[in-house]
Amino acid sequence: MNLIRTVELSIWDLASHAFRSFLTGLGVVFGVGAVVAMMAVSEGASREALRQIEARGIDNIVIRSVRPSTDQSTENASTWNAASYGVTLDDMRHIRHDFDNVRSIVPVRRLRMSVYNKGKRSDIQVFATIPEFLQLSNSRVADPRGRFITDSDGENAVKACAIGIRAARTLFGFNDPLGQNVNIDGKYYHIVGLFENPFGSQMMGGYDLDNVIITHIEAANTLHGKMSTERKAGSFERVIVEADFLYIRVGDQEQIENTAGRLRTYLEKTHPQNDYEVQVPYELLKQREASQRISTIVMASIAAISLLVGGIGIMNIMMANIYERTKEIGTRRAVGAKKRDILTQFLVEAVVLTSLGGVLGVGLGVGLAEIVAIYAKMETVVTPISVIVSFGVSVCVGVIFGTYPAWKAANLDPITALRTE
Amino acid sequence: MGFLRSSDKAADGGEKSKWVVDLQQLEKTYYAGACSVQALKPVDIQIPYGIFCAIMGPSGSGKSTLLNLLGLLDQPSGGHYILNGQDVSRLGDNTLSEIRCTQIGMVFQSFNLFPHFTIQENVCVPMRYAGFSEKKMQQRAADLLNRVGLGDRLKHKPTQLSGGQCQRVAIARALANDPPVILADEPTGNLDEKTGNEILNLFHELRDSGRTIIMVTHNPEYENVVERTIVLHDGYITRDISNPKSRPSVTSEACTESHIP
Repeated sequence: MNLIRTVELSIWDLASHAFRSFLTGLGVVFGVGAVVAMMAVSEGASREALRQIEARGIDNIVIRSVRPSTDQSTENASTWNAASYGVTLDDMRHIRHDFDNVRSIVPVRRLRMSVYNKGKRSDIQVFATIPEFLQLSNSRVADPRGRFITDSDGENAVKACAIGIRAARTLFGFNDPLGQNVNIDGKYYHIVGLFENPFGSQMMGGYDLDNVIITHIEAANTLHGKMSTERKAGSFERVIVEADFLYIRVGDQEQIENTAGRLRTYLEKTHPQNDYEVQVPYELLKQREASQRISTIVMASIAAISLLVGGIGIMNIMMANIYERTKEIGTRRAVGAKKRDILTQFLVEAVVLTSLGGVLGVGLGVGLAEIVAIYAKMETVVTPISVIVSFGVSVCVGVIFGTYPAWKAANLDPITALRTE
Repeated sequence: MGFLRSSDKAADGGEKSKWVVDLQQLEKTYYAGACSVQALKPVDIQIPYGIFCAIMGPSGSGKSTLLNLLGLLDQPSGGHYILNGQDVSRLGDNTLSEIRCTQIGMVFQSFNLFPHFTIQENVCVPMRYAGFSEKKMQQRAADLLNRVGLGDRLKHKPTQLSGGQCQRVAIARALANDPPVILADEPTGNLDEKTGNEILNLFHELRDSGRTIIMVTHNPEYENVVERTIVLHDGYITRDISNPKSRPSVTSEACTESHIP
């Protein structure tokens, strides 16, 4: 028998009791729908997590200076009452020289200075770093006429800065920011360039990269000294932090965890006051993925149970179908059908039924994912792989639960079957 | 003659037996636990090509058993069954299905048509199992239905037809793969006398085209209609008589209103 024709005939047969077929396939429809929707929600959540982690920083390893909780910050007479903590530029040099896995290391100092916009303080932050920052943060120069900060800016202690595109819009609106001056704590900095981050990344601490001003760290140290003054609602606080962050890029992603371990060991020795934190977005990502995997497994099991119930429904109705059509089976055998032909016929019927259920289920799943996205405000992503997998599973359900009834039909005794009314 | 006999389907090879059905000491015993029932005692029956033959007998006489054996739906306990020159008494299920498909046409008392299919599709079923191409199969089904007088109703479902018409469809289906033997199990049992006679007439025409028709019947009147009558009783053949003059009597009685050209 021609297989395509068999499929066609079985669709006819299912169509001849459409409502019963629909009820039968409903279990598979819901099962597949649940699988697709669940996978869409799970995929959406993991993409969201990935984006958060990516946005948090720039890949690889970040060493962050933190104020020691015990507040035993070293007091220094010359900088009265200034809290001094965190990783230093010496640490940076040491890491750069002694860690061969480290491809680049970039210090970032938050200057804790205010940027004035028409006489008012804005929320724009100023960071001091080195030219490599541009590349490391996957940012780029947004206006080809300008440039990013250069080492000569640092050597000559030039009051030059590059400005993020959002900060530029805040300060200058639609005017050309290039060549303008910007008031940073009363000093006027010359804007030499405009930059943007196409990934919407954030600096550690949640500062949007497009909304900051960047100047060279050496120039900042020369011009302002190492002490910063943080203004908090009405009070002043002086701190000495040489580098708020050290961004470290490792040559090979395989080396991230290993390098992070070595960095931790090094810092434990040199910073007993525990004024640092090593963050590895990659580790964070892996943790998220692990917990995501568990919830995916749990949800997949629930969906699998519903598919199992659907499959048993299919089996039940196929058995009923065979009892109902015993005489037909006997007649077919009498006019020359082999056991194999009968087996194929009923198996194809079961598989067609579950496949149609699978198609409807995929539709239902996509719909559910949409609903979740709209009403639960969660990102959901229906991936092609989830559609293929769940459709494949529905076909398998047909094969698994259709085989026994089909085998039973094929092995009916033709004489008995013919005699059945 | 008309019934689309494409070729003489006798045994391959040079030596052609004159018997289409040759039963040699064929017997059937049913076992149920410790007790056994010999439903058919060893019988020898030879049926030549191109005759119309009836098998009669009361209930429990073994005629259904014999029909099942002839139709290859059941396997004999002993003896040999040579069908169209081939010994079919000890074959596997697949081969038996193939022989059923191409060598035997089955007609049933209750027609056994597939109710969801059009009558054309019904006639196609055996050809599907024989592996015909779709186009050839549809064409042949249409031709066969035309020959039994239903050429204008190809797309009708069996439920839209009368009993006599259904049985004609069933006969067309039995002819689908051009078998040398037609086995009919009480083909007129569900029909009124007039319609029954029309069916018998159709069988006569098939006989004339060289086919052998073996019909199981309860109706003793049909003894005059067929060329040979085998009567069974308790598994034995009690009577086996030939009646070569059968044909004229049926034609004169019932052929007057036949649809068949």
